Amino acid sequence: MRDKLDIEATSRTPAVTFDFIKNHLKITGESYPEDVTEFYGPVFTALDGYLSKLGAGNCRFDFELIYLNSSSAKAIMMLMDKLDAAAKKGASVEVYWYYDKEDDTMQDLGGEFGEDLENAKFHLEKMPG
Amino acid sequence: MSSDDLFAAEEQVIAAAQQLLDAGRFADRVDGKLYEELLKDYQKLFRTTRRLMKLSDRNEQQLNVLGQEQRKANEIIAQKNMALEVLSTKLSKYLSPQIYHSIFTGAQGVEIASSRKKLTIFFSDVVNFTETTDKLESEDLTNVLNRYLTEMSDIALEHGATIDKYIGDAIMVFFGDPESRGVKEDARACVRMAVAMLRRLRQLQAEWQGLGAEQPFHLRIGINTGYVTVGNFGSADRMDYTIIGSAVNLTARLQSHSEIDGILIGHETYSLVKDDVAAEEQTPIKVKGFAEPVRCYKVLGLYDDLAAEGAVIREEADGFKVLLDLQKHDRAEAIVALEAIVARLKS
Repeated sequence: MRDKLDIEATSRTPAVTFDFIKNHLKITGESYPEDVTEFYGPVFTALDGYLSKLGAGNCRFDFELIYLNSSSAKAIMMLMDKLDAAAKKGASVEVYWYYDKEDDTMQDLGGEFGEDLENAKFHLEKMPG
Repeated sequence: MSSDDLFAAEEQVIAAAQQLLDAGRFADRVDGKLYEELLKDYQKLFRTTRRLMKLSDRNEQQLNVLGQEQRKANEIIAQKNMALEVLSTKLSKYLSPQIYHSIFTGAQGVEIASSRKKLTIFFSDVVNFTETTDKLESEDLTNVLNRYLTEMSDIALEHGATIDKYIGDAIMVFFGDPESRGVKEDARACVRMAVAMLRRLRQLQAEWQGLGAEQPFHLRIGINTGYVTVGNFGSADRMDYTIIGSAVNLTARLQSHSEIDGILIGHETYSLVKDDVAAEEQTPIKVKGFAEPVRCYKVLGLYDDLAAEGAVIREEADGFKVLLDLQKHDRAEAIVALEAIVARLKS
């Protein structure tokens, strides 16, 4: 398994920083890729590989998204499902959803995503600064 | 209709399905479990649909806001552009059109910089302007001066001149920068312009006298070709696009030595225009900064004009050129000379 997955942000896609050694995964920025499958496909693959070996280990996933389109929202829900499934299998998974303090929609959306998590621990936080 | 109303049917389906489960209507536990999972998936799909719809609405709303902001920004930009255009049109009046065009197209920088170029320079001055206009009221004087400068400037621009500056009633223009049609053609254009100015001046003289000027106006014109330094001079905050150099000073001196309503040109200009311009060499003039007296020529007219008036006979073809100045030579002498040529050709 690789140690890291680093994808730099573009004007349409978020930065992906998966540090598998430290068990800290992060997605930051805006997400409205031209092809959501092409962008999130490698992210899913890397996460699947990591979670399959996590066992009862700890994992933290930070979402710091400013804007996302509908396709990206579906991809984020799929990520959440994978994390929740890993937690169901015994891993200690913590999901942090950071929202801009002036963006009620992203706050609400994060809250709703959190409601779907039955096994992972969910945190809804304002973005610092 | 609220978003809850939009999903009333789905809510009813979920409620009915939940009732079935709660009422223990499934005798088969496997079927019941399957139905429960199916309901759970349906509920999740339902939540997902609502979220995506909400998100899509939010994004569309933001897009509309951005669109409105963009439209407002475009309106402001259009207003600013219009104001800038009006301002630039006003400012353009203070610049020669070629300089204005060069600056606004980016071809000409606005930093202190200069270069050496061979230009043809023109100076004109109204003879005794102050005395001639002494009895005019200030408003009339302004009108006369502006009319004169406008008329002369129009002619200058028609001939492709770059107007350097007005110094009271004096005009300084040059040919060859920022646009040049070649040194020779620049010099020709300059002399043609000077001749056209004098012609127009004669028409204006009657008009001015009608306004109260006791004496008709007269001009002195000097033209010279030579290397000058051309570019922006001044400070970073206030600069003039102009020319400097001994050729400029010499032009001013030629102008001051010109006959009234005459054009005095330097030797280099003469050598460039002599095929088109009838000129007569004058006594060389002494000019400060020049060791030797400077050769100069009085313009008699354009050969094209003189030919039309019958003052010269001009025939030109490839390798063949005849120019007979009937004002300078006796016709009989000319006939003898031409007959001798014809005889040589026949032999």
